Amino acid sequence: MSMLYGFLVLTVFFIAGEVLRVLLALPVSGGVIGMILLTLLLMARGSISESLAGASQALISVLVLLIMPGVVGVFFVVDEFAGQWLAIGVALAAGTLLSVLTTLWLMQRFSGPEDGSHE
Amino acid sequence: MSELSARFQELLGLLSTSPALAIVLTFGAFFAGNRIFRLLKQPVWLPPILISAMLVSGMIAVLTIDYADYREGAQWLTVLLGPATVALGVPLYQQMHHIRALWRPILFTLPVAATMAAVYAVVIAASLGASEEVLASLAPKSVTAPIAIGITEQLGGSVSLMMGGLLITGMLATLFVDLIARWLSITDQRILGFALGLNGHALGTARAFEIGPTAGAFASLGMGLTGVFTAMILPLVFHL
Repeated sequence: MSMLYGFLVLTVFFIAGEVLRVLLALPVSGGVIGMILLTLLLMARGSISESLAGASQALISVLVLLIMPGVVGVFFVVDEFAGQWLAIGVALAAGTLLSVLTTLWLMQRFSGPEDGSHE
Repeated sequence: MSELSARFQELLGLLSTSPALAIVLTFGAFFAGNRIFRLLKQPVWLPPILISAMLVSGMIAVLTIDYADYREGAQWLTVLLGPATVALGVPLYQQMHHIRALWRPILFTLPVAATMAAVYAVVIAASLGASEEVLASLAPKSVTAPIAIGITEQLGGSVSLMMGGLLITGMLATLFVDLIARWLSITDQRILGFALGLNGHALGTARAFEIGPTAGAFASLGMGLTGVFTAMILPLVFHL
């Protein structure tokens, strides 16, 4: 029962996100707007109900299931992007290498030693 | 005999247009994928989602079901993605207090690194002559899947191609963070976790939890912040 209540809250936030997206013509998906709204509300309240935490965890634990239909499609677009796979592969490999390097370098440069100095 | 095979064809036609078969295939592959993943001692290069997806595509190829039919049958799963995306706000809120411990590097790193994660890939692909659709599919490659789906749809990319890119990025990010951290001799769990979550979304976060709970917490934070930041910035800058 209580899990269903949490699910109701999540769906209401999703609809609120969709409403804002359409009315304000935002280029962001309704789910993301709902997520930002929920995060802000939780930060303002400083606490979270058990039903909402439970429903969120349940949904997140089956995320793999929800995105599977999209992932399966990868095997069916091989022909569609023929001739571009080299560009895609190089962009993914080199792009990820560079962005990991950028992240680690920046984080290390701006953070102090592991203990102390970051207070 | 030929009558039996005709009936079999009829049965397949019936089943492939009802959502029940798509549900059974997806759920079955989900459980089987997780089991195989554990049996193989949880290899980084073969995440459970990839095993499950290969099982589903194998099954629909064997049963001669159209991918479009499967996708339509599995549609109600996709409907749940909206509320599931909202649900990501809960761990983000729960990890938010970590920002206080490391606000300075996070503030300086996140906007630059999350933007560059998209820019590097898009610029490299564009210089190698990739089409606009491919670029739109590669741009959200470091963003967690439910948010990335929303971004790709907004940009006009292919969700399937984006998913493939996402998986490869997650695996490579996990590998590269290990290698480069060793090279730069970074051992701070907070930095390692944040880099894993920012670049490698859910796959990187799973790896971070193997390193330790602190790395896992910072990876969740990095993943959540990158998702929100990229979702807001990318649609605005992509068309420039």
